[in-house]
Amino acid sequence: MLKRSHGIAALILLFSLPLFAGGAKEQKSEVSPKGSPAVSAAPVVIQFWTWRPEDVAVYNKLIGIFQQQNPGIQVVQTAHKNTEYNTILSAALSGKSGPDVFQSRAYGGLETFAQSGYMEPLENWVPELKDFSESARRGATSIKDGKIYGVPFASQTLFVYYNKKMYQKLGLSVPATWDKFLANLEAMKKAGIQPLANGAKDGWTLEVMMGALSPNFYGANDFFNKVIKGETNFLDPKFVQAIDKLRDLIPYMPSMYMGVSYTDMQAAFINEQAGHFIGGSFEAGYFSSQNSDLQYDFFPGPAAKEGDPNYVSTYADGNFSMNAASSRKAEAAKLLRFFASKTTGEAFIKELKQVSQVPGIDPTANPFIAKVLSVQKYSTPYIFLVGFRYQQPTGSSLAQAALQGMFAGKLTAAEVCKQIQEGIATYYKPFQK
Amino acid sequence: MNTDLRYSTTHWGKNLILFIFHLVMVMYVAVIFYPLFNMVVSSLKTTREIFQNPFGFPRVPQWQNYWIVWVEKGFYRYFGNSLWVTAVSMMFVLLFGSMASYGLSRYTFRLSLLLYLLFLSGIMLPLKAAIIPLFILVKNLGLMDRHLSIILIFIAMALPSTVFILSGFMKTVPKELEYAARMDGCSDLAIYSRIVMPVSAPAIALVTIYNAVPIWNDFFFPLVFIQSDRLKTLPVGLSSFFGQYSTNWSLLFSGLSISILPMLILYLLMSNYFIRGMTAGAVK
Amino acid sequence: MLLRRELQKRLWITFFVLPGLVIVAVFILLPLFLSLFNSLFSWNQLIRGEWVGFGNFRRIFFTSPYRERFFNALQNNAKWFLVTMVVQNTLGLVFGYLLSRRIPGYGFFRRTFFIPVLFSIVAVGFLWGLYLKPNGWVNAFLKLVGLESYSRAWLGEESMATFSIIAVNIWRWVGFPSLVFLAAIDAIPLDCLEAAYLDGAREIHVFSRIVLPLIVPALTVITVLTLIGSLNVFEQIYTMTGLDGSPNYSTDTIGTLFYRTAFGSVDSGNPEIGIGSAIGVVIYLLTFLASAGFIAISRGREVEL
Repeated sequence: MLKRSHGIAALILLFSLPLFAGGAKEQKSEVSPKGSPAVSAAPVVIQFWTWRPEDVAVYNKLIGIFQQQNPGIQVVQTAHKNTEYNTILSAALSGKSGPDVFQSRAYGGLETFAQSGYMEPLENWVPELKDFSESARRGATSIKDGKIYGVPFASQTLFVYYNKKMYQKLGLSVPATWDKFLANLEAMKKAGIQPLANGAKDGWTLEVMMGALSPNFYGANDFFNKVIKGETNFLDPKFVQAIDKLRDLIPYMPSMYMGVSYTDMQAAFINEQAGHFIGGSFEAGYFSSQNSDLQYDFFPGPAAKEGDPNYVSTYADGNFSMNAASSRKAEAAKLLRFFASKTTGEAFIKELKQVSQVPGIDPTANPFIAKVLSVQKYSTPYIFLVGFRYQQPTGSSLAQAALQGMFAGKLTAAEVCKQIQEGIATYYKPFQK
Repeated sequence: MNTDLRYSTTHWGKNLILFIFHLVMVMYVAVIFYPLFNMVVSSLKTTREIFQNPFGFPRVPQWQNYWIVWVEKGFYRYFGNSLWVTAVSMMFVLLFGSMASYGLSRYTFRLSLLLYLLFLSGIMLPLKAAIIPLFILVKNLGLMDRHLSIILIFIAMALPSTVFILSGFMKTVPKELEYAARMDGCSDLAIYSRIVMPVSAPAIALVTIYNAVPIWNDFFFPLVFIQSDRLKTLPVGLSSFFGQYSTNWSLLFSGLSISILPMLILYLLMSNYFIRGMTAGAVK
Repeated sequence: MLLRRELQKRLWITFFVLPGLVIVAVFILLPLFLSLFNSLFSWNQLIRGEWVGFGNFRRIFFTSPYRERFFNALQNNAKWFLVTMVVQNTLGLVFGYLLSRRIPGYGFFRRTFFIPVLFSIVAVGFLWGLYLKPNGWVNAFLKLVGLESYSRAWLGEESMATFSIIAVNIWRWVGFPSLVFLAAIDAIPLDCLEAAYLDGAREIHVFSRIVLPLIVPALTVITVLTLIGSLNVFEQIYTMTGLDGSPNYSTDTIGTLFYRTAFGSVDSGNPEIGIGSAIGVVIYLLTFLASAGFIAISRGREVEL
């Protein structure tokens, strides 16, 4: 009995030990701004949040340049885990605190914070915004009041990556039409190469696949503009056919593709185990960093018939926004103007391999970016993200689940479109007429 | 008297059943150790190799991963912070939890069931659900960016299951033990600390490990409430390896392998208490 | 005199219970209730609008698409509870009993069964995702033993995905009931068991007539924790098939539905705080009533020593 109570005492002691050991360690270890010796007063500290832990080094570099240009301002960067970012940001902003400047999502994701009054309208703070393209500003504009709440940072484009070595070996050429695309996939299959990396385990990769391939069948911008106004809807035979076309790819997807996740897809393409990867411009940086020998290129979604233009879906990736409750708005605006400058734009292109939205940047330094910009000649908004991600159930969530149903063989294309249409019609006024 | 209850039988049918279950247990142990082994081996591969060759040995072991994680990524500091936060939280969880369990299980009073359910209702919805009011509460208490914020939250999160499990066990402590002590003039506090607590050692060991693990691994609350790098905990450090479209699995596994060690040690320590309690001997 | 003793007892109870209760009340119950109160309002993004009474609840139960989502999710929670009770807790009871009989290797098993719980859920999700993928270990094993026709995309098929995740969860947690039952059986006074054995009672009778009735509190603990766990399943789904309960909502639970409705999902949607909170209230009430009911029933069956 006595022995046991000693055990308990030891247990409690074990837990209280660090109480004495670690109690007094408090040291300041924040990075001080380099190259600002002239300023003697304490610098104004700007809190800056991102959802890109992988880009911390690049942002630190940019912040270093900014601090050199603006002595007296110190920027503290915090990169949060992407999946928790929105939750943490909304908790902080609802609590009337949080960062001064932060990365914000585009479209519906922006609306959440803009309509709640947590974001500062930026037209007056950042005059550079008027030079940004219409499509870039769209992702930063609230649909409710038409004000701009962010400095757009990058655009993304969806298309088909292919392995150049495999194309050379099999003597294939870049397909301009759907039939040629299928012929290429078939040729790879015959040669014993896995033609497509794409799987269906992660629903959002199916939405990306649809964004890359379907616009050429549903009639790109023409359909988009009509469906937004409610002049047509997702039961439109052209849209149904566009969805149905995706099923042509099933024979070329990996075996048991329903279990193939996004990371499996990436790995298969990076390790040259699959010939094509339907994805977005945001992949390129990771592809190159993982396998520097990988020779890849991309082509825009193949056209329905010879001679038609090849449309790609594009969207604004996100913005930099200002906290409406910030007490350091003037300094925050300086940082935002810096993010709207060519210095930042060039860093995005060179270091992050991202298509910067900053106007007037020469992309030729990076052939990949230059090519992305060239295929944007025929671009159409990424339909569910740009148009229908403002309310629940969003077009994206409906499409992702229903497409999984279709790829599992449980739903037809018509049923997929019916689910999407009925879901959106529960709140989308133009569909309720 | 024969007090050896070790299993022994000559009946072939019973032996067969025993053999089957024994086999299941051995197989289970194998599937426990394989992922553990897999995790450590993966920590020595590059991210690309983890996907290329997930089940083999690394071509060139990336020992430097541990150095990068521990020194460059500042895990030595996160590790200390996590130890501190977990230890302080658990100390109070065990103290307040065992007290409350004692109060609820060893006295009969009208409100006991209600209080019991009130405690238990603390785990009926993840606390994440209340993040906005919680944020405002922590801010108003002036606890932002201080370890005390997450310590208090962790104590609160662990108390319901502690009280629930412990009071279940304390209930089975024979009343005679308590009466005998009372006859000897022990106060309620003495009965709690000298009789009921020692007898409940196996259950206390169990709730310790049961609650220390989620506290040790929780990254959400530190992510929300701790901003200064010098105060961050291990799981927050781990979360920085998750990119939007790419995750540094190589460093993540190195971090995870480091992170599981203290819990493994704690479990091995605690498992020494999972033995026949003192109940039987004490009654006699 | 009697009054003084009653007062003393109350003071002792207060002394023991109060500190814990205050912390739980302030840091869990208060924020939780404040948050659940939100279910009675309409919301414009993150700003609270007007009072709508039970409007949000009506939408969950009676209007598309929330109705379909909610009942689909609830069905999966039921699967979680049933399979966990039948497979995990039965195995746990058998393991715990065998360990209490000190079968060979007892010390080793006791020191290993809890290891899966020590893994961070991130590691569990990733490693089991690796084992369960089409060209992973599980299918390779099936091929090895000649059962290739049973190969599946375990996490990608609507009919298999939920059960695969439950199986991983059982792998992770079966040690817990085993150790709880071990501790409970070990707490039974030896003389009870000895007497039975000396009488020459059969093993199965010792187990069912002596051991089981005496470990009712432990059975209650495990059942109620399973109940609460099954109605709150979230992380397991989140790390293995994602917030949307892929594929096509087949692994969706009320926990994931709640989370993505209240907080939004990065890949697919915005928060609807009113409806999200209403789902939270339903989860809370459901869990509370079910556990309270079960506790009330089992209290009557406890045997006191």
